[in-house]
Amino acid sequence: MNRERIPNHRLRATLSCYAIVAVPVLLLTLFVYLPVIWAFSKSLYQFEIGGESVFVGLGNYVEFLTADPVTWPSLGHMLLLTTFAVCMRLSVPLLVAKLVHSIPVERWRYVYRIVFLTPIVVPGVAVQLIWSGLIYADNGLVNETLRSLGLDSLARGWLSDPTTALPAVALIGLPFVGGFEVLIYYAGLSGIPESVNEAARLEGCTGLRKFFLIDIPMVMSQLKLVLILTIIGGVQGFQGLFIVTRGGPGFKTTVPGLWMYYNAFSFQRMGYACAIGVCLFVLIFGLTLLNMKYFRSTEELEGGR
Amino acid sequence: MNHGKQILLHALILAFAAATLLPFVFVMNNSLRSNAEQYHAFFGLPQSLERIIVTIPAALRGATEPMTVEDEEGTLRQVAPAKALGVSVLTATKGYRHAWHVIRPYMLNSLFVSITTAAGVLLLGSLTAYVLSRQRFFGAKALYLYIIGTMMFPGALTLVPSFMLVKKLGLLNTYWAMILPYIAGGQVFAIFVFKSFFDGLPEELFESARLDGAGHSQLYRYIVLPLSKPVLSVVAVMSILGTWNEFLWPFITNTEGKYHVIASGLYVLATSPYASNFSTLFAAYLISSVPLLLLFIYATKPFIQGVTSGAFKA
Repeated sequence: MNRERIPNHRLRATLSCYAIVAVPVLLLTLFVYLPVIWAFSKSLYQFEIGGESVFVGLGNYVEFLTADPVTWPSLGHMLLLTTFAVCMRLSVPLLVAKLVHSIPVERWRYVYRIVFLTPIVVPGVAVQLIWSGLIYADNGLVNETLRSLGLDSLARGWLSDPTTALPAVALIGLPFVGGFEVLIYYAGLSGIPESVNEAARLEGCTGLRKFFLIDIPMVMSQLKLVLILTIIGGVQGFQGLFIVTRGGPGFKTTVPGLWMYYNAFSFQRMGYACAIGVCLFVLIFGLTLLNMKYFRSTEELEGGR
Repeated sequence: MNHGKQILLHALILAFAAATLLPFVFVMNNSLRSNAEQYHAFFGLPQSLERIIVTIPAALRGATEPMTVEDEEGTLRQVAPAKALGVSVLTATKGYRHAWHVIRPYMLNSLFVSITTAAGVLLLGSLTAYVLSRQRFFGAKALYLYIIGTMMFPGALTLVPSFMLVKKLGLLNTYWAMILPYIAGGQVFAIFVFKSFFDGLPEELFESARLDGAGHSQLYRYIVLPLSKPVLSVVAVMSILGTWNEFLWPFITNTEGKYHVIASGLYVLATSPYASNFSTLFAAYLISSVPLLLLFIYATKPFIQGVTSGAFKA
C-alpha cells in the first residue's frame, strides 16, 4: 500500500507544480508572446483596426527604410539624444557616488544617498511637465533668469524654437544625478575589496589616478548595466518627447518610437507601426549583443578573458 | 582625510543636490502663488504666505481692527483679523484644493491598479519561483527559460500589437487593460529575483522541515515567505514605482478617459483649461508625489539595502 502511494503522491506534487507555473506561463503567452508574434506577422499587412487588411509583404519595411522622409532625421535625433544620455548617465552619477563614498562618516553617506534618491517619488510625467511648463516656459526659469541678467535678447521659447528644441530636450533632467544610478555605482564602489584599496594606497595610487585605474574598472559591471539600460531606453523611449514637444516643432524632436506611436494611434496605420516596432527591436537586440560582446564587466576583466 | 578636503567634498555634493532639487523648490513656491505674481515676479515669495504670517499676531492678540486681505477670487476685502487669517489660508491653499478636487479620482485609480498589480506580482512571482527553484519536475528548466525569455522583447515591439489584443479582448476602458499586462510583465523580473534568492537558501532547511512532515504549502508559508521579506519588499516597491509612473499605456487604453491614472491624469490636467492656473498644476504635481513619498519613507531601508546588495549589475 505504501509503495502505491509514493508514486501517486509524486504525481500529485508534479501536477501541482504545473498548475502553479501554468498561470504565469498563460499570462505571458497571451500578453507577451502573442503580441510579439503579431508584431512580426501584422507588419506584413496594411490595415486599420477593424478594417480590411491587405498583404504587402515587406512593403512596410521598404517604405520605412527608403521612402519615409521622417525615418532618417528621427533616427539621427535618437542617436544624438541616446549618445548624450549615455555620456551623462555613465559619468555624473558615478562622480557623485564616488564623492559620497569618499566621505568618512557612514551617517552622512546614508543621508546623501537618500537625498539623491528622493526625487524618484515625483512621477516621471510630472518631472517632464515641470520642465516644459516651468523651466523652459516663456515666463519660465531659464528666460526669467536671462531677463534678470539683462540678457533679454537670448530669451526664447526653448522647446518651440527649431534651433534649440533638440538640445533643450536633451538637457531635460540636468544635472543628471539619477538617484538610482548613484545607488548602483555606490554599491559597486562599496564592493571593491579592502585588499585592493590597501594595495593601491601602498603603491601611492590615490586621488584621480586611483579613480581611473582602480575604481572605474572595478565598477565596470554596474557601468555596463546602466549602459545597456540607457541604450534600450534611448532607442525605444519617447514618452518624454511626447509630453514636452510632441515631436515638434515640425519633426525637429521626433524619434522613431514617437513616429511609431503617431502611425498607430493618429494615422491608424497599424501594420506600418508594427514594422517600425520590429525595426526598433532588431536595433535594440543588435546593440545589446554588441554590448555583451565588447564591453567587459569586472568579472570578465578579472578572468582575463 | 583632512578637514579642508572633507568640507570641499560636502560642498560639491551639496551643489549637486541643490541643482537636482532646484526645480522642485520653484514648483513648491509657485504652487502657493497666483498667476499674476508669477508673471510679474518669477523669483518672488508667495504673498499669500506673507499675509498669513502678518495676520497671525493680530489674530492671536484678538485685535478687532479690520485688515485688508485678498480672497480666493483675488478681490481685496476688509475683515476682522481672525477671519482675515482664515481667508488668507484659503487663498494660499487654493491651488491645492483645486488640484486635489481634479486628481483625486486619478490617484484612487493609481492606488487600486498599483496595489493590485503588486499583490499579483508578489503572489505569482514568489509561488512560481519557489516551484522552479525547489521542486524537480520535467520541463522546469524549459519553463523558466520560456518565462525569462520575455525579457528579450522591448516595449516598443509589443506596444501596438498589445493595444490590438486588449481591444480585441474588449478590455479597453477597464482596470483589467492595465492590471493584467502589468502583472504579466512585472512577474518576470520578480520570478528572476526571487528564484536567485531561493536558490541560495540552504537545502537542509527544507529537508528537515520535510522530515517533520511539512507539505509544499507549509514550506512556502513557514520557511520561504518569512526568509524572503527583504526581497519581497524590494520587488513590491519596484513594482509600485513602475506602475505609478506608467503613462503611455493608461493613456492609450483609456480612450474614454474614465480610468486615467495619476500619470496620464496629470497630462490630461496639463492640457486642459485648468492648466491656465499655474498654482493648481504645480500643486497637482506635488500631491501626486505624496503616496510614493510615504512608501519611500516606509521602505527606504530595505530598498537601499536591496539595490546596494550588488544584485544590479550586468
